[in-house]
Amino acid sequence: MSRSPPLQTAPNIDVGKSITRGDWKVTTHKLPILNSTEIEAMTTALGISPPEMIFGNNSVDVTNEKLNWSISFNALDALELVDKSGESMLKVSYSEAWQKMRERVHEDIKEIVKPYDWTYTTNYQGTVHSSDRPFQQTGSEIPFDKLKRPDPILLFDDVVLYEDELADNGISILSVKIRVMPERLLILQRFFMRLDGVLFRLRDTRLFIEFETGEIVKQYQAREDTYANVRSGLYMHPPEQIPSLLRDDSFIAERLPVIEMERERVLLG
Amino acid sequence: MSDLDHAISLLRSCKPIPEPAVRELCYKARELLIEESNVQLVDAPVTICGDIHGQFHDLMELFRVGGDVPETNYLFMGDFVDRGFYSLESFLLLLSLKVRYPDRITLIRGNHESRQITTVYGFYDECLRKYGSANVWRYCCEVFDYLALGALVVGAGSFVGDENEECEVEVVGVGGDVVTRLKRRDDGAGLMNAANPLQEGGAGGGDGGTVGGPPGSGASGSSGGTKGVNNGAVLCVHGGLSPLVDSVDKIRLLDRKQEVPHEGAMCDLLWSDPDGNLFPLLSTLDLCHRKLTELEIDGWGLSPRGAGFLFGADIVKHFNHLNNLTLIARAHQLVMEGFKEMFDSSIVTVWSAPNYCYRCGNVAAILELGEERNGSGSGVQWSAGAGRGQGSGVARRGPGRRYRVFEAAPQDSRGMPAKKPVADYFLSFVNWVTFHPITHFTYLAPGTPKAPDFKLYYMLMNNQP
Repeated sequence: MSRSPPLQTAPNIDVGKSITRGDWKVTTHKLPILNSTEIEAMTTALGISPPEMIFGNNSVDVTNEKLNWSISFNALDALELVDKSGESMLKVSYSEAWQKMRERVHEDIKEIVKPYDWTYTTNYQGTVHSSDRPFQQTGSEIPFDKLKRPDPILLFDDVVLYEDELADNGISILSVKIRVMPERLLILQRFFMRLDGVLFRLRDTRLFIEFETGEIVKQYQAREDTYANVRSGLYMHPPEQIPSLLRDDSFIAERLPVIEMERERVLLG
Repeated sequence: MSDLDHAISLLRSCKPIPEPAVRELCYKARELLIEESNVQLVDAPVTICGDIHGQFHDLMELFRVGGDVPETNYLFMGDFVDRGFYSLESFLLLLSLKVRYPDRITLIRGNHESRQITTVYGFYDECLRKYGSANVWRYCCEVFDYLALGALVVGAGSFVGDENEECEVEVVGVGGDVVTRLKRRDDGAGLMNAANPLQEGGAGGGDGGTVGGPPGSGASGSSGGTKGVNNGAVLCVHGGLSPLVDSVDKIRLLDRKQEVPHEGAMCDLLWSDPDGNLFPLLSTLDLCHRKLTELEIDGWGLSPRGAGFLFGADIVKHFNHLNNLTLIARAHQLVMEGFKEMFDSSIVTVWSAPNYCYRCGNVAAILELGEERNGSGSGVQWSAGAGRGQGSGVARRGPGRRYRVFEAAPQDSRGMPAKKPVADYFLSFVNWVTFHPITHFTYLAPGTPKAPDFKLYYMLMNNQP
């Protein structure tokens, strides 16, 4: 239907990084958003329209060839887990008023185009490729005393996988931060969603790898609260600062109660 | 040098102008805009631009690529502000150019030109930061209420390129070389070919739709044969169509001088999107049992977000036909390639913010519509029979279109605000390392004492790159 322009004009430069520590290889890929052809392919693969800013060629990969183990964080796999049934659909804050008006004026327009979770909420925790060693539930914490050490940071990167402005009703963003030190690494994949007037949502996956022992600890945490609750907790802040505070995922994260928590561990060594 | 010229030269170098000057400028702009119709008439040649979003240096790049005001006649389809670092300078520059050269630049309203949206998406904060008060933001918002809702470009030529190599579409890539030329298909079906029989469903059917009447009047009379009448016009809006609006005249009747409402025709024009998925929604069985006329109704859909409309190909073609339009140009949606034609080139999205939000890596585009050429009359008669020969309704042919694609301004010229200070970097860095032990598994009632704050400790410990 659409005629994609037959041109290659966008710079297609990967500004990702790479580092090897022993048998561990860490690679990040950072490229522009997908072009129209790639978006069409992804739409077909997913069955839903991808987010507006879809960094489908970005990823964070950690591989250990010797142990035949790898984990990858990428947009396609994350979007596979988005609800496509429309069962968990949220509505924008003014939806009710809008619907009432619509029913008065255009009762004949009823078809909701492809109901799906348009906030692109995902409980994705990375894609693991492993011959035989699955994660096990664990009670142990990520050993963050080791992360407190003032070790040199050999590689740091912040990679966005996708982002959507929810048609100017807030923001959904899935990003991955990685920090590699001489003996270990930490990854934080964060899904952050603010639906204005409705809801805040956070899904954090933290992954810790100790290179020497092959110990991997993963922690998944879901946090959520209503917009009204978060907003009313900010009464002590000057009103003019509030819009920018509501955009700050780090600031908001601490104010959202935990609704779900999983800890898993695997020892590869 | 007049005050206005002085303001323009300040703004061109990305410097904010003093608050009283903003007030004066906004006052003058309102006086000018109040006289404009909801749908401004614009004569080709004109260069049509999409979202800018406060990316001032990229706006300068746009002017470099497309020519300066007043040499080039511009039409901006809204979303001047929010997201970028220089909403204020970008909007005020465009506004001062509008006041200085009212006939050479047309500004129409985008969904971001609204009090509510600018409060959330950055423009309000920026004004506060740069002036210490919200006055400038208020002046600008008052101007927003007077911006036109759309524009109608008349007199656009059918071809781009030189006489010897006339094309329907020309794409000029980054660097200024022509990368694509598409010849017009002269098989009578034009671009609205018969690939999908549904696509012409709305186009009046058979011979009845001989094109004529003033563009946008809704009249579909017989061909007049006069230049500018015979040619269809190009409707420019920020978002798209509305089920409440079946003619351009209905847009003219709206009371636009208000904040963008959450519903109704004005809202739809600024917010709605075309959607190529509307037809596949129907099952094959549906398609067999429905007539084309019924399908037109299905061309409207509801956004899954619970507010807002989506419209399909038949809606656009039907609207274009009824209103003697050959093309709808709109903005509002990010496109990696800078522009995207849909529905057999009956609608195009133009996006003019390269490397959107300074991280998307997309290119941007502007759309140039040329002037009708004298003496090439035979090539521009829409209703002269070529379309009828196929018996597939009238194939009105779109205007010649030149897309100029451009990249973001070079990093060194963009004067980005300095990178976040190191302390900031580590604060956020620390945040994702900390785990807040007390909040694990527990809901914190308001007022519950927080876990001991390790932040400072981590910050000191980790403060080395």
